[in-house]
Amino acid sequence: MRITCPHCGARDAQEFTYLGAADLKRPDGMAATEAAMTDYVYQRENPAGTHRELWYHGAGCHAWLVVTRDTRNHAIAAVEAAKSRKTGAAA
Amino acid sequence: MSGQSFRLVSGGLVDRDRALNFSFDGKPYRGFAGDTLASALLANGVRLVGRSFKYHRPRGVLSAGPEEPNALVELRSGARREPNTRATVTELFDGLDAASQNRWPSLVFDLLSLNGLVSPALVAGFYYKTFMWPAAFWEKLYEPLIRRAAGLGRAAGLEDPDHYEKAFAFCDLLVIGGGPAGLAAALAAGRSGARVILCDEDFCLGGRLLAEKREIDGKPAAEWLAATLAELENLPEVRIMSRTTVFGLYDHGIYGAVERVGDHLPEPAPHQPRQRGWRIHARRAILAAGALERPIVFPGNDVPGVMLAGAARTYVNRYGVLPGRETVLFTAGDDGWATARDIAAAGGKVAAIVDARGEADPARKALADKLGARLFAGGVIEGTRGGRQLDGVTIRDASGATMALACDLLAVSNGWNPTLHLTSHQNGKAVWDEALQCFVPGTLPAGLAVAGSAAGHFTLGQALEDGARLGGEAAAEAGLKPAAAGPVPMTDPEATALQPIWRVKGAKGKAFVDYQNDVTDKDVELAAREGFRPVEHLKRYTTLGMATDQGKTSNLSGLAIMAEQTGKTIPQTGTTTFRPPYTPVAIGALAGHHRGKEFRPVRLAPTHDWSKEQGAVFVEAGQWLRAQYYPKPGENDWLTTVNREVQAVRAGVGLCDVSTLGKIDIQGADAAEFLERVYINGWKALPVGKARYGLMLREDGFVMDDGTTSRLGDSHFLMTTTTANAGKVMQHLEFCHQVLWPELDIRMVSVSEQWAQVAVAGPRARETLRAVVDPAHDISNEAFPYLAARAVTVGGGIPARLFRISFSGELAYELAVAADHGDAMMRALMRAGQPFGITPYGTEALGVMRIEKGHVAGNELNGQTTPRDLGLGKMMSAKKDYLGRLMAGRQALIEKDRPSFVGFRPVDPTQRLRAGAHFIGIGKADIMENDEGYMTSVAYSPHLNHWMGLGLIKGGAARIGERVRAYDPVRNGDIVVEICSPVFVDPEGARLHG
Amino acid sequence: MAEIATVSTAVSWAPRGAWAGIAQPGSFGATGGAGVLATLLDGFGLATLIAAPGAAPALSRIVEARLGIALPQAPKIASGQAHDAIWAGPDQWLLRAASRDGFAGLLAELAPHGAVSDQSDARAAVRLSGPRVRDLLAKGVMLDLHPAAFAVGDVALTSIAHVGVQIWRLADGPDGSVFEILVPRSMAGSFWAWFTASAAEFGCAVTAAPVAGPR
Repeated sequence: MRITCPHCGARDAQEFTYLGAADLKRPDGMAATEAAMTDYVYQRENPAGTHRELWYHGAGCHAWLVVTRDTRNHAIAAVEAAKSRKTGAAA
Repeated sequence: MSGQSFRLVSGGLVDRDRALNFSFDGKPYRGFAGDTLASALLANGVRLVGRSFKYHRPRGVLSAGPEEPNALVELRSGARREPNTRATVTELFDGLDAASQNRWPSLVFDLLSLNGLVSPALVAGFYYKTFMWPAAFWEKLYEPLIRRAAGLGRAAGLEDPDHYEKAFAFCDLLVIGGGPAGLAAALAAGRSGARVILCDEDFCLGGRLLAEKREIDGKPAAEWLAATLAELENLPEVRIMSRTTVFGLYDHGIYGAVERVGDHLPEPAPHQPRQRGWRIHARRAILAAGALERPIVFPGNDVPGVMLAGAARTYVNRYGVLPGRETVLFTAGDDGWATARDIAAAGGKVAAIVDARGEADPARKALADKLGARLFAGGVIEGTRGGRQLDGVTIRDASGATMALACDLLAVSNGWNPTLHLTSHQNGKAVWDEALQCFVPGTLPAGLAVAGSAAGHFTLGQALEDGARLGGEAAAEAGLKPAAAGPVPMTDPEATALQPIWRVKGAKGKAFVDYQNDVTDKDVELAAREGFRPVEHLKRYTTLGMATDQGKTSNLSGLAIMAEQTGKTIPQTGTTTFRPPYTPVAIGALAGHHRGKEFRPVRLAPTHDWSKEQGAVFVEAGQWLRAQYYPKPGENDWLTTVNREVQAVRAGVGLCDVSTLGKIDIQGADAAEFLERVYINGWKALPVGKARYGLMLREDGFVMDDGTTSRLGDSHFLMTTTTANAGKVMQHLEFCHQVLWPELDIRMVSVSEQWAQVAVAGPRARETLRAVVDPAHDISNEAFPYLAARAVTVGGGIPARLFRISFSGELAYELAVAADHGDAMMRALMRAGQPFGITPYGTEALGVMRIEKGHVAGNELNGQTTPRDLGLGKMMSAKKDYLGRLMAGRQALIEKDRPSFVGFRPVDPTQRLRAGAHFIGIGKADIMENDEGYMTSVAYSPHLNHWMGLGLIKGGAARIGERVRAYDPVRNGDIVVEICSPVFVDPEGARLHG
Repeated sequence: MAEIATVSTAVSWAPRGAWAGIAQPGSFGATGGAGVLATLLDGFGLATLIAAPGAAPALSRIVEARLGIALPQAPKIASGQAHDAIWAGPDQWLLRAASRDGFAGLLAELAPHGAVSDQSDARAAVRLSGPRVRDLLAKGVMLDLHPAAFAVGDVALTSIAHVGVQIWRLADGPDGSVFEILVPRSMAGSFWAWFTASAAEFGCAVTAAPVAGPR
């Protein structure tokens, strides 16, 4: 696989580490409930199709990236830096 | 030595001026440069080259290419011996040494061929049926017996002495296959300036042009080939890689290839690898891999001397070898006739042509007459004669009459299958072409096109046309202006009519579908009867299509016979999904440089050479090599050394490299806030110039890592991590910053590599440091108390950092200087500490002292423990949110009887403790239900003169004073231990503050 | 506890560079003309600069005013008289000085304007050139280094043989293309093992430059 890092350009997947779903919002703060945190830590969709997911460019610029990938064929539709993402749910 | 009695006096592409000596099964032979092992054996009249997998039947050369199922040999000897090497693609070299395999005691006289006599017991599925009971016999009796009888070659069993490499390439166009289609494609793209890589697995480019007598533009094809190669070689952006097999197609235009750099030499040339594994990134690729010819299933179709007709042509035309003196052709189409024609032209005798199609047209009759061959139109071969070599065949003519005919070569032609393997590496399904009677590529992976025979376009004219067109398209795709395309070269006419026959029925004897796995048509019938009808079941039940050739010559016949059995069509029956690799690839080519001690990078501290000089024994810690202990002459037992090191530290002073700890520089206005969120304890109140122990959790509430973090400025911290987790923690912190809280002003970078750091521990540590730290810095107990962390200078102005922290419980410091000064720092400290008996100590002594002090380390931070489990619950701030806070408070994790951290000592002080031992109540049975926890760390304390342990036990500290069994069945350990405080030495901490 | 009088250590504090004990000048591999030329670099100053959120342009202006080089906003290297600014990630750079003289002072000057971390001893550095330099690099670098794809001044953070590296291309020299590579100091030995195994077939001449000076 090749992932086009928005900072570094197209790189082999082995430069990256996979984490998982990108659009989870951490229930921050003292008011957060255990139930909400349990969902955040453990509940995941497992779609056959488009998946927005986090990859870490550890062998490159150290950026966390949001990769939009089709899980059926690895086709990548978009890559953006998590820190400056325009879409998605994280704080 | 017998001569090359089957070598033609002239012709072929071998270099008759360069004779090469080689041996097969110890007998010397001679061939020519340009031969393969198979062509050289055939030239010498060697027909019997191996024994079959299961029945040990004599086998000869079937093909002239990578699909060969029979002619597998052990190549070379000693550590370089390589089993299952296909003689048909093994380039001959001087001194080549090959041996047949799967025979005992010899190839000609093989006792195990008796397997053939008991063959009814060895049909498909026999393993499953026969060796079911008793179960214990499988491992001890059945499997060893079967392994001796059935098998292929022997691995060398020694370390491979050769070097392998990996390499990466990038191109606009990758052309896979250097036959006419591939050459035309490379030329079209290369002429317009595209970056082209042309790979061919052969050592000569040209593909079938090397094996056929064809004309291009009215001239012999060899002239076109030479001119094309010359032009390609002059194009600067075209790279031709022969001896290179593209074996796999992966996501996003990545192709795997193996270049056999030194396989055609007795040993790789100096400084050269044996093989090089390539990862090729191609914007576009053209598969021009040609086609593989199909055998026919008929009784006795495996006798040495039965050969694919196209292969026979290859041996005649390319290698100048007559594969038989008296030939019978068994063909289902026009293509086979070219073999008869070329054999006759080379001076061979064609005794008969058996064309399974009905009445022959006048032209074919005339050609048969011209060749002096008897023609059996509508006939078939229904049997063969001969054991180790073909003596003759039984022909059944169109009327049903049979007759025997003597011959020593039976050339078999049943059409060709496109070499479309790579098109299905990403699950692409081949589609059945009824007109062509073969599978052709279906949906193609992005970026891949198929040209020539690989696409089912079997004529030379089509190949040249496809290649030129697709090559031009690839160049245009790369944004290049296509070069003016000349006219596609004209080729001489060729006939390709075909009516394939999948098997000859109604005759007796074994008819092989899969030669390599000894699968017969009867096995396929049996599978059908027993319900193993889907192709995937057929494969697993009969082993059809398995092993080194992956069914290149057998898959379609197997499908066709199953289709016939089930009354379905071939496409209804199934297709083969090919997976990488296309042909076998040595593991070495995939590993490249990374084996042995280069398996992965090793990290060395800046003090490494100094430690080596001190005689250190090193141990792997993460990627690092750390000094484990420093044996002195006369110390023959590591425990003696470690005890000495521990005692020296507790009595005087010792030093231990800690450069390997992860060090992360954290700056920014929100640095303190960030630490509040990632650590369980508080950081905002930490004064500048102070260090604090921190514990960080995973979000699921379990401990991830620990270490000390120092405040160097208001908005500047230096975090340390454990050696093993440094990379993981950095990644985690980047996640926290970039994904969770991008709004925080945090700027982080690893400075682990910048600093050489050493722990100086023991009652004389301060006196030792006093002689190294420049006098301007006051490091007295008052001015530099426990947990002070400040910049100092050493050696007359060299910047350094000094931290008063302790893992050993002693008065201790860590001193850090820039890595270039690390070596000098160690020498300076050794000299300064000489009066106090300064002693270097390693990770073992470090471990003993931390256990004596009850400090947790990697064994306790094992991913299954919470801060409460480790007795560190008090550190968990109740005033702030931090990662893992909520999950660490889950009910199950705060239950009272959850195993928690305490110390253990043997009731009988002479007894040794073992890490991993489980705790069971005294008098209770040693069953899982009674398990109360386990010992995480143990060490011998030279201070207490007995073993001590740390561990996790239900109830934890509340049970101090109680006795339990430490049960260790793996090492026959079962002793009584007393639960105690985890702090064994100096529980008041007086030494620390001294 | 009373202060103890200072004891003269009489130990030389001479620095020991990252290549010490690992690589030395000489030649190895195939004979008959070196296909790869390696120059071991030492004695340079190196520091990580990270801009505060939104402050990259300001930091760049300060560096430019002081050193005459702006901080590149893409993976590039900008070279001045005696300094290079090398892109090292978003809003992050390595500042390299040909000499360590005055480097600490420079870093102190910059510290109020961005996060500055001295990394002078943290990397082993080597300059590579020679007619076969791309064939050598192809054995480790998973990037397209074709002159059209990786131009003079281009920088990449990537890995070679599982060792994280930073690589860039300088202006061509008399031997053609010139690359420089930074390797984590602790992995210099493993990198060098890969390098010697990979460069041997081309023949390699190794020299040492005492200071990473002007080119």
